[in-house]
Amino acid sequence: MRLGPELLNAGLNVEERNRFSRLDLNFAFVILALNLIGLINLYSATHGAFSKDKMDLFWMQLAWLSVGWSVFLAVTMIDYKFFVRIAYILYGLNIGALVFVELFGKTSLGATRWIDLGFFRYQPSETMKGIMVIVLAKILSTRTYPKGMGLAELALPAALFFVPFVLVVKQPDLGTAMMLLAITGSMLIFVGVRKGILIFTAIVAVVAAPIVWNFALRDYQKNRVLTFLSPGRDPRGTGYNSIQSKIAVGSGKVLGKGFRKGTQSQLEFLPERHTDFIFSVLSEEHGFIGSATTLGLFVILYLMAVRIAISARDKAGALMVVGVFSYLFWAVFVNMGMVIGILPIVGVPLPLLSYGGSSLLTTMTGLGLISSVAYRRYLF
Amino acid sequence: MSDFLQTSEEEAREYQPRYKILYGIILICCTLILGRLWFLQIMLGTELRQVSEKNRVKESKLPSPRGLFLDRENRVLVDNLPGFDASISPQYAKKLEETSEAVGQVIGQPGKQIVDLVRKTQRRDGPFRAVKIKDNLTFEEFFRLKLLRWDFPGLNLNESILRYYNLAENGAQLFGYVAEISREQIPKFNEFYQGKFAFDQGDIIGKSGLEETWDTTIRGKDGVAFVEVDARGREAPSDNPNYFGFKPLPAMPGHNLVLTIDKDLQEAAYKAMNRQDAVGPRIGGVIVMKSNGEILAWVNTPSYDPNNFSTGIPPQIWAQLINDPFRPLRNKVIQDHFSPGSTFKPIVALAAISEKIVTPTSLVNAPGTLKFGRRVYHESHKTNNGMINIVKAIEVSSNVFFYKMGIQLGIDRLAPYAKVLGLGAKTGISMTHEVSGLIPTSEWKVKKLGEEWQPGENLSNAIGQGFVLVTALQMAVAYNAIGQDGKVFKPFLIKKILGQDSTVIQEFQPQLVRDASEPNEYGVIIDKSTFKAVKEGMRRVVEGEGGTARASRLEGVEMAGKTGTTQVRSFSADEIYNRCDSRPITQRHHGWFVAFAPVENPEITVAVLAQHSCSGARGGAPIVHDVMTAYFDKYHPELAKAALEKKALKAGKKAAPKPVPVPAGVIEEAE
Repeated sequence: MRLGPELLNAGLNVEERNRFSRLDLNFAFVILALNLIGLINLYSATHGAFSKDKMDLFWMQLAWLSVGWSVFLAVTMIDYKFFVRIAYILYGLNIGALVFVELFGKTSLGATRWIDLGFFRYQPSETMKGIMVIVLAKILSTRTYPKGMGLAELALPAALFFVPFVLVVKQPDLGTAMMLLAITGSMLIFVGVRKGILIFTAIVAVVAAPIVWNFALRDYQKNRVLTFLSPGRDPRGTGYNSIQSKIAVGSGKVLGKGFRKGTQSQLEFLPERHTDFIFSVLSEEHGFIGSATTLGLFVILYLMAVRIAISARDKAGALMVVGVFSYLFWAVFVNMGMVIGILPIVGVPLPLLSYGGSSLLTTMTGLGLISSVAYRRYLF
Repeated sequence: MSDFLQTSEEEAREYQPRYKILYGIILICCTLILGRLWFLQIMLGTELRQVSEKNRVKESKLPSPRGLFLDRENRVLVDNLPGFDASISPQYAKKLEETSEAVGQVIGQPGKQIVDLVRKTQRRDGPFRAVKIKDNLTFEEFFRLKLLRWDFPGLNLNESILRYYNLAENGAQLFGYVAEISREQIPKFNEFYQGKFAFDQGDIIGKSGLEETWDTTIRGKDGVAFVEVDARGREAPSDNPNYFGFKPLPAMPGHNLVLTIDKDLQEAAYKAMNRQDAVGPRIGGVIVMKSNGEILAWVNTPSYDPNNFSTGIPPQIWAQLINDPFRPLRNKVIQDHFSPGSTFKPIVALAAISEKIVTPTSLVNAPGTLKFGRRVYHESHKTNNGMINIVKAIEVSSNVFFYKMGIQLGIDRLAPYAKVLGLGAKTGISMTHEVSGLIPTSEWKVKKLGEEWQPGENLSNAIGQGFVLVTALQMAVAYNAIGQDGKVFKPFLIKKILGQDSTVIQEFQPQLVRDASEPNEYGVIIDKSTFKAVKEGMRRVVEGEGGTARASRLEGVEMAGKTGTTQVRSFSADEIYNRCDSRPITQRHHGWFVAFAPVENPEITVAVLAQHSCSGARGGAPIVHDVMTAYFDKYHPELAKAALEKKALKAGKKAAPKPVPVPAGVIEEAE
């Protein structure tokens, strides 16, 4: 049996009976499990002997989590088609916010990223990731591309991508810009792009790399890449972080050093341990068991998301799930890769585990979209 | 909506084959991460656990020694001395009160004060930055604290490098001083140097003089040591490369600078400025320059001891320095400009002969007064010099003669002759805060002041008053050019930059800016014969019967120069020479004397500005005399010896000659 949104809205009894049974509870439980791991871990990261200033962050995160779950449930209940319909309006508003930030935003640590709303520092680049998923789902779902997308078909999505991409790069927030690129690229390739164009893009990327290196990257960014290639070259800066992170992860061994007993994290050898390097705290204190379990939960989440996409009622829904999935997947891969030293250091938080209201809200909204698609999927 | 529903089902199926790709990517990436976790946590786990437990590596900075300043004979002028400072690391100082109390007893500070300092800094910088308690420990303090260290974890003793200025007050403005970079400067410097240098709190930078100008050359690069922290938080430097192969990065010492300065002459010049005579210690500056532009000495007085800055300057000394009316911190020889007074006359003379107003032999009437317009202009003491030529006019410093030259030349014909010799523009010496001085033109006056040039101003500017402004360094350059028959050399202070092992990294050669006797950008050419006539006049300033600096003749060497006296504020013409000595010191005239020697083949030029000394002859000339004597005694001792022998021979022939007294103050300077 299948219910369209019209029916849901009309038949109250049916709706009430089905509201929770149709909710993908397993999906929600996996998220909840990751939330709990995140909270426990964040408590440890913010309650070290020398991090009295960070204690409040745990409670802040708890508050954000309740907001996040409310958003998750609300988005689940709203038909995702509604978002598809208002995609351009959302996109326009978000671009407006990005431009506003460019002109009047608050500057912190050399980057201009947020608008101060008093109770909350709104970071438009964060929401842009979600909006990008919705806009692309809208455009790509309206047509079929039997031979893959050609240049003409790529023009609109490419344009819609480049505007926020350039604005975010200018902030500069390279981590988020990379995520935008990963989301857009993944969705386009998923839908299908002609081989010739893919090969051409790859060649352009290879050719452009030295140009970007020389003219677009800042010194600290170059340093991160160079340090990744040879860790000994910058022992004072990025190399130090990367080394300390690897020591932290490795020293956890199989079972870990125990909750709040990680010397690397508690004695502040680890930088940014409550945000970008949160996974190294977890690996140090809970060992291979803990980190593999967390990775396993993410894998379960991914597999569920793919299943939901497969059973989606329409292309827009499927694409939306693929978009959110690609964000969650690449963010986790890049973050963990950085922590364990297989990727250069990039400022990408670990979804659901890193501290940060904006990141948590974006993730929970995205998961809400997946859940919304699941809510309205085919039941085989 | 309904067609959407009908078709969507079909369409969504279009994607079915692609989901396999997603599974594939998940599999590959997660296997990669899991594999790496396995490698780090299980295969390397035991090893990395040890690293994290025992080898808690922390980085600590190894300060790089700044480059030394050597004189032209490689004698050390500015040195580095080892010093020690004490600091407390808040994170390890578990017994902060007791530690502070114990430390306080050694260094003579109340323990409470130290506790407050540590707490305050910790709130600002976090627990991991060690808080400096005292700089520049004495040896006794150092050893007593070293004993305490074992009972009080968290107390650190660090080696530091102290800048030491061998000449102390002498040349302080030349060498400059160093001090900790200020909080506001850190972001600015890092922005400016874009990764070439990374500045951090506590870094020492050059704050003035050569230390500031050449900071990037001499500062070197700080190294990094990796410090093991033991279980009690005590730090011990480790040489064994740790797990990931971090070897300590040794500090790269900065380059040494070989200056053009001659230590002996620098000392002689400073001594001369502080000579004890009727005038007393001079306020002002001395530039001693070789004919090729090498600066041999660079003195400003009064001065200060830059060593005070290296060890942290006490506030009361700092307040004294910046409130001193005679401004000891300033590099007066380039940072302040003054009217040249009569020292400008030789340049006017060059212009007058070149522009064919007079020939070297034409006679001009120079009476005691000159009426121009409604004003009457005076010779000093209203002396009537009668009919004199230009050589005599320079010798006796006749005002009326040069008024007449000024009237006939006009400022716009005169100005290029001053500019071609380097006046009114920065010399381009490698030193911060040089000012350009001013050679006025009628166009300049209209543009700057919005007024027409007044004919009367031709008179005052012709004797170096009015708008004309010069620095002592410019005067040395210009007079040197006269001595070299028009060759203008760029003054320079650095001979060589030396790397480690004394390898020469860069060597600086004399630089000829232009030759005034050949076509140049100012469109005026001064003939060699013109220089000859003017130099003869300048020689007679010292050697001639009526010379204004006759009292400062040298033994065995003839020098050529010119005195100058300039008003500090406007006095009426009659008032100028009235009882200068009895005025308050800040109202007394400035004295100039600029000279080169030997006349025939000049080797050095000395420019002296003696502020508030009342007269160039008595304030400036004796200094030049002392410096010149020191130079020729060192480089040509035979000249003075020959002169003395000649004198002795004469004395033997004449038998008991009457000593000729040269009373100071008798020869009044003309203006």
